[in-house]
Amino acid sequence: MKRKLTLALLLAVTATSALADRLDDIKKAGVLRVAAFDSNPPFGFLDAQSRQITGLDVDVARHIAAKIGVKLELVPTNPANRIPLLVSGKADLIAANFTVTPDRAKQVDFSLPYFASGQQFISRKGTLATPAQLAGLRVGADKGTTQEITLREKYPATKVVSYDDTPLAFAALRNGNVTAITQDGSKLAALLANAPDKDKYEIAPFTLTREFQAIGLPKGEARLVKVVNEVLLGLEKNGEAKKIYDHWFGPGTKAPLPRDFRIGDKA
Amino acid sequence: MTALEVISANLDYLLLGSWPAGPLGGMALSVVIGLTAALLASLLGLAGGIVLTLGPPLLRRLVAISAALLCAIPVVMLIFWCYFLLPVLFAVDVPGTLTVIAALALIGGAFLTQAVHAGIAAIAAGQWQAGLSLGFSRWQTLRLIVLPQALRIMVPSFVNQWITLVKDTSLAYIVGVAELTFVASQVNNREQVYPLPVFATVALLYWLWCSGLVWLGARWETRYAGVGRK
Amino acid sequence: MTPPAWLGYGWLESHFIGWMLQGAALTAWLALLVCGLATLLGVLLAAGYEQRWRSVRLAVRTFLSLHRNTPLMVQLLLWYFGVAGLLPEAVMLWLNAPHEVTLAGWTLAWPSFEFVAALIALSLYSAAFVAEEIRAGIRSVAPGQHAVALALGMTPRQVFRHIVLPQALRVVRRPLLGQYLGVIKNTSLTMAIGVAELSYSSRQVESETLLTFQAFAVATLLYLLLVLGAQLAGGRARPTLGGGR
Repeated sequence: MKRKLTLALLLAVTATSALADRLDDIKKAGVLRVAAFDSNPPFGFLDAQSRQITGLDVDVARHIAAKIGVKLELVPTNPANRIPLLVSGKADLIAANFTVTPDRAKQVDFSLPYFASGQQFISRKGTLATPAQLAGLRVGADKGTTQEITLREKYPATKVVSYDDTPLAFAALRNGNVTAITQDGSKLAALLANAPDKDKYEIAPFTLTREFQAIGLPKGEARLVKVVNEVLLGLEKNGEAKKIYDHWFGPGTKAPLPRDFRIGDKA
Repeated sequence: MTALEVISANLDYLLLGSWPAGPLGGMALSVVIGLTAALLASLLGLAGGIVLTLGPPLLRRLVAISAALLCAIPVVMLIFWCYFLLPVLFAVDVPGTLTVIAALALIGGAFLTQAVHAGIAAIAAGQWQAGLSLGFSRWQTLRLIVLPQALRIMVPSFVNQWITLVKDTSLAYIVGVAELTFVASQVNNREQVYPLPVFATVALLYWLWCSGLVWLGARWETRYAGVGRK
Repeated sequence: MTPPAWLGYGWLESHFIGWMLQGAALTAWLALLVCGLATLLGVLLAAGYEQRWRSVRLAVRTFLSLHRNTPLMVQLLLWYFGVAGLLPEAVMLWLNAPHEVTLAGWTLAWPSFEFVAALIALSLYSAAFVAEEIRAGIRSVAPGQHAVALALGMTPRQVFRHIVLPQALRVVRRPLLGQYLGVIKNTSLTMAIGVAELSYSSRQVESETLLTFQAFAVATLLYLLLVLGAQLAGGRARPTLGGGR
């Protein structure tokens, strides 16, 4: 009885809130709440000096907030909390190295991709060279990521152990709890570059998938999607996108990576 | 960097979060969450225990069932529900800190409801009869005669529950509220190779806090409990 | 009626429920082992508390204080990430490698390191609470009985084993049940170190299906079944306070 009542109440509430337009809500509140990583350089991480969350995703989010004309508020997240944060309305957007997948598209909307990478692995030097070796290995992944799902579905012989965030998975690798860890190649490169003991590990020389990262938005907010896409295309057009990329992945950075994807390219 | 340098470089972040430049975090936020939740849980528990003793049958049953259910699910689950479901339910954005306080207060209140009810039941029936025969109403008897005695018996229960609440503030980590355990894992994620010193420091901070409560509880107990226990 | 947006696009398929049932089974198994170990260790600690030697008493008190007054989450992270780092690399590699013994057709597999770390951390933590309950039970046994038994020529150890402990255990049945129920709930924290128990499997299902609320609802229901089931199995006794977390 009580449960039925709660459910009815829920339905009523969601029915009314679906009519409101999120873009208007954001403007009215004067704040854009964006779910961003706090432990995944260079996408979103806690800067040691400023103690603020910074990174490539944050730079993109800043431009979106500026375009809407509101303040940016970052909601720290790990991979697993991203979609719940968005769906429950705790965040207006996800800007956290968020990979586009058909399954996710049923639950959230995506902007145009603004980043591309592929699933790769870090292991102890000399332990992992080919995908065939993955069979029987214990591999650390992040809860709620596409990499976790890909491994489970395409490499059933691999034992996947999932952690709350990539650095924790790396700690497990360091302790020998897993033989390798998996994530986007770009993220792994930066993770390894920041590791104090990086000479013990290497990125395995193969890539499993090609993945595209985009801003995640609540379902059915066409006006908000339009604004975000305009911002992204604008960033590419005025060269700001390249500047942001070079700031985090350019030749002068710890983990340089050539830019092989432009916003607006066919994903 | 040595382990000691890592800790001292991050100690202000562990204690205060990004405050004063940003919102309050770290140990200070844990204290805020812990104190508020303990206060609310105590009030809830007291109200719940009294309802279980004197309330109308239907309300009594409702409180008893809610308390039993709340006691039976893990705190982590309740935090998930409060964090991700409350905003949908009420169509308002409740700040993460408040949802964690709500979750902790509900669970603590449920446990204390049972403790208060048991504490009141432990007071001899003669006390009730004495109060009623003096012409007091049931409520007056409870408030003036039974409850003051029962509360003395319950001091250890309350203190234990507060300690549990303090430790449970660490679960806010799961939903990304920037309390002590969460900022510690941020620091650990950045420094990478010092998990032992980082988490040992955090453990020490919690230990000092909880031990303080234990000490306070022991003092109260000797002061108020006196004779007549057990 | 179409479900609202947050409910997603349907109900969980049965194999996802299967994942969560597996998670629930691991939760039950872990909780069972922890209850057993914690009770054994708890009795030893309680006995140690009553020892004549000061150093033993001090060691026990320190153990109890450290384990009772710090969060389980922090203890788990310390055991899994901290202590593991202290062990020599060769030991860790051996611990993490799969080991199997086949005995008369039964295959015994060495559990994953996550499981071992969780088992150790949870058992030590719970033992500290069990010990306090048992100690309270021992205190409730009238001191006169102790004296009588000694006068009958029993050694202090015999007195503890045959006179004090049985009575104390009767007194602490209910508070102990409360602690055991607490253990079931506490296993949920081990998902942070990668133990594939119920909470972990609910997040796994969630990341695979993106049906957040369905996944949490099933997990919550399974916890209720486990805890209320254990409560029924443990008799009518209601959980008392201090199901330490």
